[in-house]
Amino acid sequence: MTFLAPGFFFASLAIAAAVVALHFIVTRQPRAAIFPTARFVPDLPATATAKATRPSDIRLMLLRVLLVLAAGAGLARPILKPSRGKEARVILVDVSRSSKDSAAVRDSVRSLYRNHDVIVAFDSSSRVFSGDSIESLHFTRGRGNLSAALIAAMRAGSSLRNRADSVALVIISPFAQEELDAATDSVRRLWPGGAKIVRAGAREAVVDSAQPPSVIWPQTGRPAGAIARANRDTVGAVLAGNSLLVAAFERRWSYPADSIRGAEVVARWVDGEPAAIEWPTGGACRRSVAVPITQAGDLVLRADYKKFAAAIFGDCIARTSAIPASPERIANLAGTGGLAPREAFQPRGDIHSSLATWLLGIALIAAIIELFVRRQRRLVASESRQSSDARRAA
Amino acid sequence: MARTKDGREPAARSASPDFAALLDSVRGIRWPARSAVRGGIPGAHTSRMRGNSAEFTEYRPYRQGDDLRRIDWKLFARSNRAYIRLSNDRAILPTIVVLDASASMGFPVDTLGKWNLAAQLSVGLSAVARNSADPVGMVIAREGEMIQLPPRTRQSVIYEMVRAVSELTPRGSPPLTSALDAAVRMSGRIVLISDFLGDADDLLASVSRAVVTGKEMHALHIIAPEEIDPPKETLLVSDPEDPDVRRPLTGDARDVYLKAFSAWREQIAHDWSEAGVLYSTAIVGEEGADHLIRRVTAPRGISATA
Repeated sequence: MTFLAPGFFFASLAIAAAVVALHFIVTRQPRAAIFPTARFVPDLPATATAKATRPSDIRLMLLRVLLVLAAGAGLARPILKPSRGKEARVILVDVSRSSKDSAAVRDSVRSLYRNHDVIVAFDSSSRVFSGDSIESLHFTRGRGNLSAALIAAMRAGSSLRNRADSVALVIISPFAQEELDAATDSVRRLWPGGAKIVRAGAREAVVDSAQPPSVIWPQTGRPAGAIARANRDTVGAVLAGNSLLVAAFERRWSYPADSIRGAEVVARWVDGEPAAIEWPTGGACRRSVAVPITQAGDLVLRADYKKFAAAIFGDCIARTSAIPASPERIANLAGTGGLAPREAFQPRGDIHSSLATWLLGIALIAAIIELFVRRQRRLVASESRQSSDARRAA
Repeated sequence: MARTKDGREPAARSASPDFAALLDSVRGIRWPARSAVRGGIPGAHTSRMRGNSAEFTEYRPYRQGDDLRRIDWKLFARSNRAYIRLSNDRAILPTIVVLDASASMGFPVDTLGKWNLAAQLSVGLSAVARNSADPVGMVIAREGEMIQLPPRTRQSVIYEMVRAVSELTPRGSPPLTSALDAAVRMSGRIVLISDFLGDADDLLASVSRAVVTGKEMHALHIIAPEEIDPPKETLLVSDPEDPDVRRPLTGDARDVYLKAFSAWREQIAHDWSEAGVLYSTAIVGEEGADHLIRRVTAPRGISATA
């Protein structure tokens, strides 16, 4: 067993030691003795602090120590340490629109997977799969993002820290160009070792590369597939690919779910709502853009607008998703070095600890029992004092 | 072992007083009266009375009412004047020891040091007085009753005293004043042996009245060394005569106690000496009982010492 936040446990140990020490330093009536000249002793409360050789109330002390240690151990988030193997793998599986949905990918994963390995399926986001659910891997129409997948691999590596001495990284992907961005190389360098590259089949491009997309970008009218918004509003930016255009746009149109079904989102408003969509049309594609461009002002002269417009008028998504990345970038992904040592990963701080709940429960129960025991002790002491006073009065 | 009247054995005494050795050691001691005693039965002390003993002192002119047999007829024949022949008289001085048998005298509890010393002093002083042919008696103030041994000169009176003090265990908080008043009525010399932790103020008033009437008063203040230098460990001390007094004797309280107890002893010594009492302190274990008796009975050595 190990602790994710051992500071709490060490603090509870210190507090428990202090509790034990306090039970040895007790305030009580000292030993009574006959003394004829007691009248000359100043009349002070008849209690004194003395060091005892045995703790004053062992039952209460044990309860308090249990309370403190259980609470400290619970807050320290204990986890049961599994047996550690020599090697484990983090398998990144590309399930984005760039990958071809084929049994070959699942077979590759199945052949690579061993116990204690972690499967991370990624498109624009990442999900962790267990070895039993390889068959449930399904491919999406989302754009792949290797940077996010590598970040997820780092997290998976941290979770494998206690299970293996070394961690290997395996990436199963067609490595499309669109899946790599400017941050990918930097994120890749965060992985402390090399990566095994497994090329998966890419989705075949059904778009003719010679035909440009048909863009429907009305200046004032309703874009294709869009409907008028019930309430017009203003939005501050729109994003197409990697091009961000910041300006005040009056948003008049929106794309209902029916229009988006079977279409790819080309651009989005900053709040995530589609701003432009694309339908495949045989050998080409058709795009509908709901971004109003005013002729007044210098918006269309700005460089970011030109980049945005280039993204809007760029190649169809079905074609770009099939463009493979350059060999240099893939080589960068493979990297150098061997397996990543377990010490290179930070311990995970977000692992759920079921023991913590039990320990905190024990601490709560101990606190309640301690309360009752303390009250009972007070009652006994009070009765003893009263009987003593009565005897003296008699 | 001697038993108490209610059949119980007295408390264990690790240092039981050896009365025989004490009586041997005080055998030759004399205890003259501090001033001329009132006449009466011939004894060892100078009497205020002038009598017709063989020890001639002076002549006095005959006065009407004098006994004709006391006229010196030879002097009358030579001088034709009638003179009475006078001589010093000697008289006895009845002595009573008033012994405090309150619970505070039974300290320390394991050795009964204060009580044992008081018992030795009472028996020893009585023996010294009896050796001078003085009648000796004892009044013991104990809880619920007052034991009185009237002044007598017979040999057995000392053994009666030994038996009386041996059978007793100090307890309770008896008033000492009534015992003293009883002793004053019966004797001319009273020895009060106490720790003065009881009715000291009433006792002083009673003693002052006795001194005014010409009684010779001795006071022996019995103190245990533990009272002068109490143990340094923290204790909850309680007064054996007053259960309500239960106080913690801690380090700080000990300093206050030492000052208060010292001041009280000085006050007692001052007040009793001022009242004309021959006051002495007797600290248990510091001085033997025979030495204390010699100090008390010394003709000029008696002084009020704190």
